[in-house]
Amino acid sequence: MLSMHNISKVFRTDLVQTHALRDFSLEVAAGEFVAVTGPSGSGKTTFLNIAGLLENFDGGSYRLDGVDVAGLSDSALARLRNEKIGFIFQSFNLIPDLNLFDNVDVPLRYRGFSAAERKQRIEEALEKVGLGARMKHLPSQLSGGQQQRAAIARALAGSPRFLLADEPTGNLDSLMARQVMELLEQLHEEGTTIVMVTHDAELARRAPRNIHVLDGAVSDLHVVGTPSLRAATV
Amino acid sequence: MFAYYLRLSLASLRRHPALSALMVLAIAIGIGVCMTTLTVHTLMSSDPIPWKSDKLFAVRLDSWGPDRPWEEPNEPPPELNWRDATALMASDIPPRHAAMFKSMFTVQNEDPGFAPYMVEARITHKDFFALFDTPFLHGGGWGDSADKNLEQVVVLGKVANDKLFGGENSVGRTIRLDEREFKVVGVLADWQPVPKFYDVNNGNFDAAEDIYLPWGTAQPFQLRTAGNTNGWKPENIDSFDAFLNSESVWIQFWAELPDTETKARYQAFLDAYVGEQKKLGRFPRPLNNRLSDVNQFMSERHVVGDDNRVLVGLSFLFLAVCLINMVGLLLAKFLGKAPELALRRALGASQWQIVQLNLVEVGLVGLLGGVLGLGLAYGGLEAVKTLYASNDGNDVRLYALNLPLALQAMAIALAASLLAGLYPALKVGRLAPAGLLKTQ
Amino acid sequence: MSEIGPILRALLRNKTSALLIAGQCALTLAIVVNALFIIVARQELMQRPTGLDGENIVYVQSMGFTRDFRPEAVIREDLDLLRRLPGVVAASPINAIPLSGGGSSRGYSKEENTESEGIGAAYYELDEQGQKALGLNLTAGRWFRPEDVQALPENTDQYPYQAVISQAMARKLYGEDAPLGKRLYFQNGQRSVAIIGVVEHLPSAWVHAENFPYSVVYPRITTEKFIRYALRTEPGRRDELMPVVEQALRKANAGRIIRLRTQSEASARSYRGDKAMNIILASVSGLIVVITALGIVGLATFSVRRRTRQIGTRRALGASQWQVLRYFLVENWLLTTIGVLLGSGLAVALNLYLVETYSLERLNLWYLPAAAVLLWLLGWAAVYAPARRASRISPATATRNI
Repeated sequence: MLSMHNISKVFRTDLVQTHALRDFSLEVAAGEFVAVTGPSGSGKTTFLNIAGLLENFDGGSYRLDGVDVAGLSDSALARLRNEKIGFIFQSFNLIPDLNLFDNVDVPLRYRGFSAAERKQRIEEALEKVGLGARMKHLPSQLSGGQQQRAAIARALAGSPRFLLADEPTGNLDSLMARQVMELLEQLHEEGTTIVMVTHDAELARRAPRNIHVLDGAVSDLHVVGTPSLRAATV
Repeated sequence: MFAYYLRLSLASLRRHPALSALMVLAIAIGIGVCMTTLTVHTLMSSDPIPWKSDKLFAVRLDSWGPDRPWEEPNEPPPELNWRDATALMASDIPPRHAAMFKSMFTVQNEDPGFAPYMVEARITHKDFFALFDTPFLHGGGWGDSADKNLEQVVVLGKVANDKLFGGENSVGRTIRLDEREFKVVGVLADWQPVPKFYDVNNGNFDAAEDIYLPWGTAQPFQLRTAGNTNGWKPENIDSFDAFLNSESVWIQFWAELPDTETKARYQAFLDAYVGEQKKLGRFPRPLNNRLSDVNQFMSERHVVGDDNRVLVGLSFLFLAVCLINMVGLLLAKFLGKAPELALRRALGASQWQIVQLNLVEVGLVGLLGGVLGLGLAYGGLEAVKTLYASNDGNDVRLYALNLPLALQAMAIALAASLLAGLYPALKVGRLAPAGLLKTQ
Repeated sequence: MSEIGPILRALLRNKTSALLIAGQCALTLAIVVNALFIIVARQELMQRPTGLDGENIVYVQSMGFTRDFRPEAVIREDLDLLRRLPGVVAASPINAIPLSGGGSSRGYSKEENTESEGIGAAYYELDEQGQKALGLNLTAGRWFRPEDVQALPENTDQYPYQAVISQAMARKLYGEDAPLGKRLYFQNGQRSVAIIGVVEHLPSAWVHAENFPYSVVYPRITTEKFIRYALRTEPGRRDELMPVVEQALRKANAGRIIRLRTQSEASARSYRGDKAMNIILASVSGLIVVITALGIVGLATFSVRRRTRQIGTRRALGASQWQVLRYFLVENWLLTTIGVLLGSGLAVALNLYLVETYSLERLNLWYLPAAAVLLWLLGWAAVYAPARRASRISPATATRNI
């Protein structure tokens, strides 16, 4: 599903060069649920941005679902993002002026589905996250957990094969966090590939596979189910 | 997708109503000011007779004095004197030609109780009507003999016919001009060329004269011009005949020259005539006879005033200020929307789609501004009309919007706002989405 | 003012917005300065002295249309009638209305038999009451006596023997020399009249012509069917007397059309274009200033909103409300100053273009510092409200998640 080989990414300013990623390699097979942990500044976010095609990289190769993304045009990347990837953010990133229906509608619009198909998909997705009755609500009228579930509905509506979650429970209390996590696990069981970046050790432990990023590289590929102590302290 | 963009843009405009109103208002005021001055300018410089303006020529001979030209650098006087006008009428090269001048009369109808009033009349040759394609309501012009001999016939303008005969067909009836009787042979429909191109020496936008008299009446009745008379030569003018024989210029002269060959022949005829006259000691200046078609003549005679040009230039600078204003506000607005746009990028929108979305919003501002601007231009023109227009002139027609101008206003509004929006739209479209998603 | 350095550096990092405000200020300054300059020039043009008792002068135009119309007799009767009307100070025949745009002019010189066309000046024909009828101020010599005045038809070989000229005309012709008793030549110096008097002002009919202040008056009445009288009423009685005059003349002779026109109407008509231009220029300048001010308000509001957290942090670190307010005022002052510098150059360039193309006057450079002060005040007025809002941001904002 996701195949990164020796990816490097350097941020340059006038004064300093920072290697955000160096020789970063990772294989994620279809249907896997992977948690990525690491301290702040380790390169987690850069990995996530590159994986999500939001940022380009300086060296190495990245194939997403068999497509080599290097050198693709902006519109080709946009299309790949739209069709293959669903994003879930820490701060939900719902558009405050749009109701839930219209929020979930956003990626479907860019997909070019017909009005009827969009409606069907939006309703299905919102039903699935338990918000079928709240389609006309604005994000501000919902609790944090509901907002994140709406955001997950938006990520699901285009039936992507690959979900990228960035601290999906970071802004939620523990009860709501558990609900969201259960939803992700359910999606995983249904066959969706999920990569979740988090620094919550407990959360990471619930994923079948854990990887740890340190100083821009994958430090420990084989720790499965045992979170790094360092990650837990961040 | 366009409908979707439109819906989003409307929502976005509603989110910051004060700012949106400010942008719409800036465009609207810019457009309003521009269209006000541009309308006046366009109508001032419009072609009054587009179907034959390139075949109608103002005829000018440089009969001016030796010391200096009529106007720098070397413009011949815009009018002719009686002798030369009479001589030119003898040519059979132009298929149609006419000399003309303006005069004043008191006019009465057949009813002795009718209160006489003053009227402006045009004394001219029979070709005047065919030359300028004047529309007739009843009857027609006069024949050749009325130009050569005294025949007391007139053609009435529409207003005169309304006033004197209540708008009836007055052909065959009689009017009195300064107590002399004239028979009506024709009545014109409403005919008001703007500008009044055939006589721009006496008010560029004056109304057309209301009564037309044949050339043959001028000398026997000693009809004086009510327009400007200009002379350079110290002559002792002690009688009407002395005036007719003087070098004073006061007669407008127009000829129709259908092709370049005829024009060349006519130019040669003019030059030969002046050459002859030089031998008699007239025409002290170098040969400088001019045939200008309608539009050339309008520009040579400065029909569009400098003030008007300055105002048009100024109002476009004003629009530029409004646009810079808008660029700043749009930039701020789009940057404020950057997180949302970054999210859209993450969810699959391409840069171009973001730019498109932004441009739809900008275009919407432009259109709203254009519509409001048209309203302002309408008000502006009404205001300018009260400032400029005289009650009796024809210039009220300069202050009216028409459909082509309205469309032009919308096009300018749209183009201007898209131009203003291009940089902000592109700049925000190109922002990397990654950095904007983390914190909101 | 030690803050200027950091503020300037912050501005340079936001070059586009800074440039936009500065550019807008620059264009505004260039336009307003040039518009104002034109307005003042036109205002001066319209306020030139006329020497006429403008508010109390009425012109009566009589067009006789009967074939037995006897101009000379009619004029005598009319003048008799007009002069006896209560409220009329004086009445005189006149050939043309000063400042009206329509009149007669001729070339004059101080030399006999000259080839030069001389100085173009308006010529007026008035009788012995002409000075009083127009309210002219005689500064030297004398006005015409009844026996000087000749009644002549339009086309004639005869011409009068004396003339009164305007002071500007006298100075133009004779410089500092006394004009009285000198001869004034016309028609290539082949004919002449004696100058017997000088009036302070008597303008020509053409308000935009160079020869506006030059005029010559003859003691003459032209006896044609078209007659014009100038009459002066007691102060404030003009409008009340106009219908009275019209009716009296109609009754005296019905074979003519009478039209009345005031001096104020005639002058206003000639200056109509200038007045309109000034009103339009002033309105457009006002609108530009408003638009620019609103633009600054809008951008400042945005900038405050964007920097809320930063401002909160500054406040938390000990900046006073006044220091925050001052930050925005100084920032705005820097932007308008850049605008003033750019705009001054632009204003001069625009003026040079206008001078080239429309032969306008050169810009008086004192307009630039005046406009700069105005622009600074405008900028501060516009930025004050947003800056005040910024200064009231709570220091707690720094720690709050927004």
